[in-house]
Amino acid sequence: MSVNLDLSFLHDTERGAASTKYRDEALQGVSNSVHASNFTAPAVEDFDAFQREVINYVKPAHGTTTLGFIFEHGIVIAVDSRASQGPYISSQTVKKVIEINPFLLGTMAGGAADCQFWQRNLGIQCRLHELENGKRITVRAASKLLANTLYSYKGRGLSMGTMIAGWDLNGPGLYYVDSEGTRLKGQRFSVGSGSLFAYGVLDQGYRWDLSVKEACELGRRAIYHATFRDAFSGGTVSVYHVGKNGWTKVTGDDVGELHFHYYPSEKIDEDSLGGLGKKEAEERAAAEATAMET
Amino acid sequence: MFATRSEYDRGVNTFSPEGRLFQVEYAIEAIKLGSTAIAIKTKEGVVLAVEKRATSPLMDSSSLEKIAEIDAHIGCAVSGLTADAWTMVEHGRAECQNHYFTYNEPMPVLSCTSSLCDLAMSFAGEGEKRMSRPFGVALLVGGKDDDGYHLVHTDPSGTAMQYKAKAIGSGSEGAQTALQEEYREDLTLKEAETLALKTLKAVMEEKVNVTNVDVARIAPNYVKYSDPEIQEIIDRL
Amino acid sequence: MFDAREDALAGARQHANWSPYDNNGGTVLAVAGESYVICAGDTRMSSGYNILTRKFEKIDKMSGKTLMASAGFAADAVTLKKTLKARCKQYEFQNKREIGCVAFAQMLSNTLYYRRFFPYYAFNIVAGLDAEGKGAVFTYDAVGSYERTNYSCQGSGQALIMPVLDNQLKTVSPLVLPAASSATPLSEQEAIDLIKDCFATAAERDIYTGDSVELWIMNAEGVRKEEMALRAD
Repeated sequence: MSVNLDLSFLHDTERGAASTKYRDEALQGVSNSVHASNFTAPAVEDFDAFQREVINYVKPAHGTTTLGFIFEHGIVIAVDSRASQGPYISSQTVKKVIEINPFLLGTMAGGAADCQFWQRNLGIQCRLHELENGKRITVRAASKLLANTLYSYKGRGLSMGTMIAGWDLNGPGLYYVDSEGTRLKGQRFSVGSGSLFAYGVLDQGYRWDLSVKEACELGRRAIYHATFRDAFSGGTVSVYHVGKNGWTKVTGDDVGELHFHYYPSEKIDEDSLGGLGKKEAEERAAAEATAMET
Repeated sequence: MFATRSEYDRGVNTFSPEGRLFQVEYAIEAIKLGSTAIAIKTKEGVVLAVEKRATSPLMDSSSLEKIAEIDAHIGCAVSGLTADAWTMVEHGRAECQNHYFTYNEPMPVLSCTSSLCDLAMSFAGEGEKRMSRPFGVALLVGGKDDDGYHLVHTDPSGTAMQYKAKAIGSGSEGAQTALQEEYREDLTLKEAETLALKTLKAVMEEKVNVTNVDVARIAPNYVKYSDPEIQEIIDRL
Repeated sequence: MFDAREDALAGARQHANWSPYDNNGGTVLAVAGESYVICAGDTRMSSGYNILTRKFEKIDKMSGKTLMASAGFAADAVTLKKTLKARCKQYEFQNKREIGCVAFAQMLSNTLYYRRFFPYYAFNIVAGLDAEGKGAVFTYDAVGSYERTNYSCQGSGQALIMPVLDNQLKTVSPLVLPAASSATPLSEQEAIDLIKDCFATAAERDIYTGDSVELWIMNAEGVRKEEMALRAD
């Protein structure tokens, strides 16, 4: 009779086992079903009811406004940085733009853990693709890899709404991928609890021939207004530009500061001038407004 | 050399009474039939150089790939059965990505080579993925990590040895002697490039040109040399 | 062989209201400085309105430069730490070096996420010194989303303590451009005093926080421990 030690909990970092799986994945070029064996499933009859119960306990971090659009000079991606667990703000400094590689960005909305984990996973899939084919993966292929992964987990309660943006040999590419398995190619998207507010500003101000500076400002303004009306959005507004040489982060502004940039009039309220005359106050506000421009 | 050859050389899982595994030894012999590959480690980086032997003038030499990137900080040169080499390279790539995914840091070079050796030994294991014979390939793995530069030689027996400079393949004996004579601790990367190609030139039957050699460096990232860059080294010889 | 899944399924059938989780309360906190990190936690463990023990340590040293503190469901937290310690050893054998706190932080995230569909009901903070010797705090949700910050508080006293820490320690967000230094401005001793005040305050208003607070202080010299009594009522 032999004694069996249960070492299954060690398996996902064990070199041999995990790597064989990754190699299979690399060779097949698709499918994340390999991960299924790493995931522990609850021993319950009603999976959905259990997941609903779990949500009440663990309250995963949620909530967001993100947007992305293609214009003449590339793509602009803009996001807020708030994460909330129920009514509690669990972080004001979440990095919602995930830098997959120097030419690919992903945005996160929905479950923070879901987005972080699967976009990292997408990152290594893209890297393996690059090593094997000797060239960078296309935005089309990358978004499809993610969509396939998410589709394979459909119905298991993942919550993700992401955009994959990048520049490849076909030029700029922007895709919306979510945990229901949807994958859409498009020119303008906004995702998250504050997306409707962002869409309002974005659609109103969008033109194909915006300059890079104007486009970044439009992105920033749209997210700012979403943080103003959506309680689940806030923190800082980060704006990225994707061009043919890859992405760059253009601005990062605290919403508290941006408010006085977009509504300088509040500072000119006669009763709260703090000893300044109206003229000086206007000048100060104007100076601050100029200083904010990047 | 194989005077004691007997029925013990047919199974990969059976030692001979003298304590030898003939199939593994034969696999090591197979590498001596392969094209020459040279690697030199310096304080500034590791240089990899290989000979590309086209068996026909009609063959496109660009399809002979004997140098590969494993991750940004690790590269390798191969000699022996190239198809086996690609299985190992792909394994190494997957291992590096897996390490990065789990630990958010580049895989240490020696961890990567030991996982390659685990794979080289897998012919002795069990299960569906078991290789039915030893890998007929040797690798020169160069890389950079927190401990500095490494140059590791792996062979079909699953042994990994660290070297300052190493040659494998058909011209390895002559090349290794030459490297031993010329190697200095204070070689610059540029001098190592020259030494690698000079040594390769000495053991190659053909005249060295941009189509029949490949060169790469890890300093600190993997870079494969373009034809003009290789030509520049050839011009220095 | 004993099949855990079958057994649990039988359990699920028999007790419709059975839950795999309990909340044992407690508060953990960490503050990172330029060259130190402090990890603190109270030592009360409760279940419902009962105090089960007054000496339950929520902090553990996971490797030379890494501390981990967990609040929430104690059984899950203990299991999680046990698993992680085994993985740290495994890392040491495979890579011939001790795991760093940044690598540990990622490993914890993945470990939590692999239980995405049956989460560890534990709220964790990792505190350590990074490769440059700077203090680092990583804060998690139960399913593995994480972020490096300068300070964090988790557990039953989170909503009471976090606003105090924000008030005292908040610096420019690392997302803001142009980048500004976001190191905690306090000296080690000032940080220790602040943390003690935080716990004393939380113990006044949170029934799940009390008895005593343990502080693990890590700097270039090593790790030392301090303890302070809290209200025991």
